[in-house]
Amino acid sequence: MSLSSSDHKAVARRYLWSGLGFLAFGGLLALLIRWQWAFPGQPVPGLAWALPESHGALTPPTYTAVFTTHGLVMIFFAVTPLLFGALGHFVVPLAIGARGLAFPRLSSVGFWVYALGGALVLASFGLRLGPASAGWTGYPPLSTSVFTPGLGQTLVTVAVLCAGVSAFLYGLNFVVTVVRCRAPGMTWGRLPLTVWGLFFASVLNVLFVPVLAAATVLVLMDRLLGTQFFVAGAAAVGGGGDPLVYQHLFWLFGHPEVYILILPAWGMVGDFVAFFSRRPAHGYRLTAGAMGAVSALSGLVYAHHLFTSGMSPVLGRTFMVLTLLISLPAEVMFLNWLMTLWRGSVRLTSPMLAALATMSVFGLGGITGLALGAVATDVPLHGTLWVVGHFHLTMGAASFLGVFAGLYFWFPKMFGRALHEGLAKAHVLASAVLFLGVFGGQLAAGYAGQLRRLYDPYQYTYLRHLLPLNQWTTACAFLLGAVQGLFVVNLAWTLRRGRAADANPWRVGTLEWTCAPSPPPEGNFARPPVVLRGPHALSQPESIERLGRDWLGQAEDLPASPATATSPEAPVALTSGGAS
Amino acid sequence: MSDLAPRPVEASSEQVGGASPRTWTLALPEDASAHGHRIDALLGWSHRFEAGLALVAFGWMAVAVWRFRKAPRATVAHGGTRRSRAWVLGLALGAFLVVDGTLLVGSEGYLRDVLWNLDVPARDPRTARIEINAHQWSWEARYAGADGRFGTADDVVTWNDLRVPVGVPVWVQLVSTDVVHGFSLPHFRVKLDAIPGRVNQTWFQAAREGEWEVACYQHCGTSHYRMRGVLRALSPDAHAAWLREAGRQAERVYDADDSAANWGWEWKAP
Repeated sequence: MSLSSSDHKAVARRYLWSGLGFLAFGGLLALLIRWQWAFPGQPVPGLAWALPESHGALTPPTYTAVFTTHGLVMIFFAVTPLLFGALGHFVVPLAIGARGLAFPRLSSVGFWVYALGGALVLASFGLRLGPASAGWTGYPPLSTSVFTPGLGQTLVTVAVLCAGVSAFLYGLNFVVTVVRCRAPGMTWGRLPLTVWGLFFASVLNVLFVPVLAAATVLVLMDRLLGTQFFVAGAAAVGGGGDPLVYQHLFWLFGHPEVYILILPAWGMVGDFVAFFSRRPAHGYRLTAGAMGAVSALSGLVYAHHLFTSGMSPVLGRTFMVLTLLISLPAEVMFLNWLMTLWRGSVRLTSPMLAALATMSVFGLGGITGLALGAVATDVPLHGTLWVVGHFHLTMGAASFLGVFAGLYFWFPKMFGRALHEGLAKAHVLASAVLFLGVFGGQLAAGYAGQLRRLYDPYQYTYLRHLLPLNQWTTACAFLLGAVQGLFVVNLAWTLRRGRAADANPWRVGTLEWTCAPSPPPEGNFARPPVVLRGPHALSQPESIERLGRDWLGQAEDLPASPATATSPEAPVALTSGGAS
Repeated sequence: MSDLAPRPVEASSEQVGGASPRTWTLALPEDASAHGHRIDALLGWSHRFEAGLALVAFGWMAVAVWRFRKAPRATVAHGGTRRSRAWVLGLALGAFLVVDGTLLVGSEGYLRDVLWNLDVPARDPRTARIEINAHQWSWEARYAGADGRFGTADDVVTWNDLRVPVGVPVWVQLVSTDVVHGFSLPHFRVKLDAIPGRVNQTWFQAAREGEWEVACYQHCGTSHYRMRGVLRALSPDAHAAWLREAGRQAERVYDADDSAANWGWEWKAP
C-alpha cells in the first residue's frame, strides 16, 4: 500500500511508524532532562557533537528547549497519534464491522497535516532558529515574541495547530464512523469497550481541540501580527489582553486531553481483562457508562490547574468539588476490571500483562491525583514533581502501556505475523516496573518540595538533599530507555522472519479476528458481518457444550446441536449473512 | 480544636524539628508557619488513603491473577449479577465518600479559616504588609515605611530579600512586570501566581525565626531556576528596627523622577 493510500489500515501504519519514531525522540529528550537532574551541568556522553560550546553539557537555554519539546512531542506527536492514529485507525472500522472509515480521504489528509506538524517541531529543534522554550503549555506572555523571540516558538505553535487539526479530523471521522457505519446487528450495547473508549475520546477531541486551536491562533496573532490578546494585563494598561484567559482556554482543552489520552487505554484494558480472564466483562454497561461520565465531566474540572492563580473562592470551591467527583466513575470502572479478573481463568499473555500493567500504573497515578484535587493539599504540591509523577503515571506510563497492550494484541492482525511472546512479556514487565521506579521517584521528590522544570534544582538549599534520590530515579529512567530495545529487536526480527500468525491467536470473538483474514484486505470484509452478540461471549455454557470451545464469534451462528462439522478451536469461516 | 488554632510561636521549634541539614528523606519541607500543620495533617491523611487504596487494588489484582492463573475454565453465563454490580457501585461510593469526603471537608476548613480568609490579616492591627513585584528573575519587595502608606518616599524596597516579623499575619500583594511567575514559600505552604495586570494576594504567619527560601514555581524563562529569594523571619522588635533604619535610608536616596523604582500601589482592601 502506497503512501497515498487512504485505506484505514495503511493510514494506521503510517501513524504507527511516525508515532514510534516520535516516542523514541521524546524519550531521548526525557533522558537528557533526567541526566541534568542527576549530574547537573556535566557533559552528556555522546552529545558533544550537538552542543560543542559546552562540550555536550546542557545549558539553561538548551534545557528549556529540551523539556518544552519533550512535552509537546510526547503529547501531540507520540502518544495521541499512537492511540488514535495507529490503533484507532486500525481497529475502529474492523471492530464495528465497517469496510473503512466514514471519510477515508480525510484520514489520509489528517495524517499529512500531522506529518507537517511533526516536521515543524523537528525543524524548530534542530535548525537552531531560537528553539521553543516556553514549556509545553506555552503560557503567554512568556510564549509571545517579546520573551521568546526565536522562530522556533512560532514553528511549534503552528505544529501544535497542525496536530490539533489532525486530531480534530480523526476525532470527527471516528465519531461519524461509529455512529453511522456499524455492521448490521452491531448495537451500541455490543461494541467492544475499546471502541467505546475511542468513541468517547473522539467526542472529546471534536469538542475541545477547537478550544486549543483558538488559544493557539490567538498566541500566533500575538506573536506575528502585534495583537495583544494575552500580552498586557487589562488592569495594568486599562485595556488590552489578559494572560490568564490563555490559561483558561489552554486547560479547557488540556484537561480533557488527559482523558483523550487515557480513555482508549481504559477501553482496551476493559476488553483485554475480559478476553484473557475468559469471562464476559463485569458490568459492561456500568464500565461504558463510567467512561461516558468521565467524558462528560472532563471539561468541568479543568480549573484545578489554576488553583494557585488567584481565582475566586467560588470558582475554586466549584472546581474542587467537580474534580473530586470525577474519581467516582473511575473507581466504578476500576472495580469492574478487578471483578472481571475474579474467578476467571487468567492467561498472562503479553497483551494481558500490558493491560494489568496499565491498570497498575493508572491506578497509582489516579490515586496520587487525589491530593491535587483539593485546594488546600494542592498548594504544597502544585508545580512540584509530585504533579509530574502523577500525570506521567496516568497519561504517560498508562497510555504508553495501553499502546503496547494494543500493539501486542493487534500486531498479528496488522502484519499477519506473530511477535515473540517472551520478548514482549519481558518488555512489558520491565517497562512497568521501571515506570514505577521513575515516576515513583518523581512523586517522592515532589513531595519533598522539588519544583518542576528547574535546570538546577540544587540552587535551592532545601532541595540539595534530593540529589541521591534524583540519581536513583535517573538510573531507572536510563534502564527504562534501554529495555525498549527488547521491543525494537522483537519488531525487527518479527517483521523480517517472524512466523505467520494464527487467524485468531487470542481465541476471542470480536469481528476483526473472526470475520476478516490477517492482514485484512482493502474493504476488510468479503461480506458485511451480521452481528449477533456482544464482544465478550467467553466461556458461555452453550458454546462450550455445542462447539467445545470457550469463545463465540460476534457474528457466528451457533449450531443448534453439539458440533459436528466445526472442529474445536478452529478459526471460524466468514459467517453467512442471513442469520437471525 | 487545637488542630485548628495557629501554632504558638514559642512551642514551635521543637515540634517542627531543627534547621540542621537533613539527610535523604521523603518528608515535606519543614513547616515554619503557624497554619501549615493543618495542610500537612490533611496531606498525611491523603497519603494514608492513597496507600490503602493502592494496597487493596494491587492486592486484589495480585491475588486474582495468582489464584486464577490457568484456572480450569468455568462456564459463565453473564458479566455479573445485579448483586455483584451493586457491590461495585457500593464499594466505589463508599471509598469516594470516605476518601474524597475527608479531603473536601478538611480542605474546606483550611480555605475558610486561613487561605481565603483575608479578614484575619485585615483585622489584625499588627499585620505586616508587603507588595511584591516579580521580574525575570528576581523578587522585588516593597514595605510601607513609617507612614504606613505605599508609594511614598519612605517605602523600603529590597531584592530577593523578604523580611517579616514572627508571630503576626504577613499580608502579601503580588504582581508581575513581565511574564507569569509563581511565588512560592515551600516552608510556609504558600503558592500564588504573579500575573501581569492583576494583583493577587495571600497571607501567612511565621511561627519562628529563621531564614527560608523563596522559590519560583512557574516556568518563567531561561534563568527561572535562579529566581531564588530569601525570607528572613525576625523577632517583631528586630523587624521594626530594621524597617525604621531602612526607611530612613530610603528617604535619603528617594528620587521622585525614577518611575521604574516607584512601582508601588495604594494597598488594595480585600
